[in-house]
Amino acid sequence: MRSTWVAALATVAVAGGLTYLDASASSSDPGFDPVRSLGFAVPFATVGLLVLGVLVGTSEFSTGNFRSTFVAVPRRLSVLAGQVLAMTVFAALVAVLAVGSSVLAILPSAASRGITPDLGGDGVLRNLIGSVVLLSGTGLVGAALGAWVRRPVAALVAAVGICLVLPMVLVLAADLVTDPLAASAAGGSSAPESPLETFARFTPTGAADSLLWREGGALQGVLVLAGWVVLPLTAAAIRLSRRDLV
Amino acid sequence: MISSDPRPPAVTGHRVTFVRVLAAEWTKLSGLRWMPWLMTVTVVAATVLALVLSLFARVGTPALELTTSGHLAAQLGLLALGALIGSGEFSTGTCRSTFTAVPRRLPVLMAQMLLTAGIAAVTATLALVGAHLATADHQGFPALGTEPSQTLRISVGFVLQLTLVALLGLGTGALVRSPAAALTTLVVLFVVLEQFLVANPGPVADTVRALTPGSGTRLFADQTGLDDLAAGAGPELGAWGGGAVLAGWTSLVLLAAAYRLRRHDVT
Repeated sequence: MRSTWVAALATVAVAGGLTYLDASASSSDPGFDPVRSLGFAVPFATVGLLVLGVLVGTSEFSTGNFRSTFVAVPRRLSVLAGQVLAMTVFAALVAVLAVGSSVLAILPSAASRGITPDLGGDGVLRNLIGSVVLLSGTGLVGAALGAWVRRPVAALVAAVGICLVLPMVLVLAADLVTDPLAASAAGGSSAPESPLETFARFTPTGAADSLLWREGGALQGVLVLAGWVVLPLTAAAIRLSRRDLV
Repeated sequence: MISSDPRPPAVTGHRVTFVRVLAAEWTKLSGLRWMPWLMTVTVVAATVLALVLSLFARVGTPALELTTSGHLAAQLGLLALGALIGSGEFSTGTCRSTFTAVPRRLPVLMAQMLLTAGIAAVTATLALVGAHLATADHQGFPALGTEPSQTLRISVGFVLQLTLVALLGLGTGALVRSPAAALTTLVVLFVVLEQFLVANPGPVADTVRALTPGSGTRLFADQTGLDDLAAGAGPELGAWGGGAVLAGWTSLVLLAAAYRLRRHDVT
């Protein structure tokens, strides 16, 4: 499918381009550390993979291919399994390319300051691997939602709502809940986790946060992200095996 | 007497007029099964969002801020609405018969604009009223209407912004002609870019932010929000200036769509 390749290419290009812009913009700072620009483009690349996933997940139904596909494979579920497997490989490939292109993108500005970026040390490696896992996982979330909902626009709205609008809502909610005076009086970090923060942990954005930044949160991030893949995928499997195709 | 008049009667009675195009477009849109669903889901999502946020919010939060918080959900719904209407003609293949019937083509786009604006305004008003009813008498917040002129500006701005958003969606859909591509573009423009610019404030980011379509949210920002924006490094637009930026984007995209429709192939 052409749109799949467009989305994949755009994702990789955006990841590289934005990281390059950020790295070259901050390369004149005195304390410049090229490695810090690496995570800059990840949120954008996430959107690319989300769209990619939705397009792949709904493609069977949006093109009408499903008629011949499920005549050929009447057991249906093996088709879904195959699609998930193919999408996993493809999303992982795009994710590796996107992260790789952002690594390449910091090299020119690092070279201009004579710094060799240290990719092995101090959480950088974890961040890179985390980014790849996050991006592939997001692609799978999109594909699972797409396979469940079957309509590209509806699936896109759902995916965008969960992955992009929900975090904005949570920021707004946190804004409304916390009294700015009380927060500064408590000194910030010592305050116990609010129900809102606990809820945020279980959103895809929360998973991204755990995966990339929070100390010892990598496993939790992976599990939450996996949950967001497995739930819609189960719904898709049930719909596919029990219900009508059209 | 079978036929003394050689002219077929159908020709004289059914000339293409704008009113007829409008009626035809209305028939098409009102027959879409997803339309009432999308409108309902948008209104319910905005209302529920405002309600949930009002449950969390601390006492003393201005009621208006809660009422307009439903916007995050409503905007997504109206973007999808516009993109679907704008591209529907082309993604379903109806465009062939439509533009055979109306060879001048532009009246169709005009009719779609009018209808989309109407549908969007109704949806936005319902979302606003729903959010207001869900939050107004909650926990003794100051009621809507503490400052009449401000309240009126925010309410009208809310509906106006969402209507313009739907029209921009329509233009993008008609320009790109694929619902998924249009919606992706719009989401990047309205949600991703906005979030990104908010997260990285600075002279450049604030200026860009003032010039993106997201600037239209100033139409219903309360005074504190406007003051915060004015204190930033970007140009000072005020509420109506932000609306003008959004209106500019909307007209530009609609013009581009009209140009493509008039000058280029339909399929």
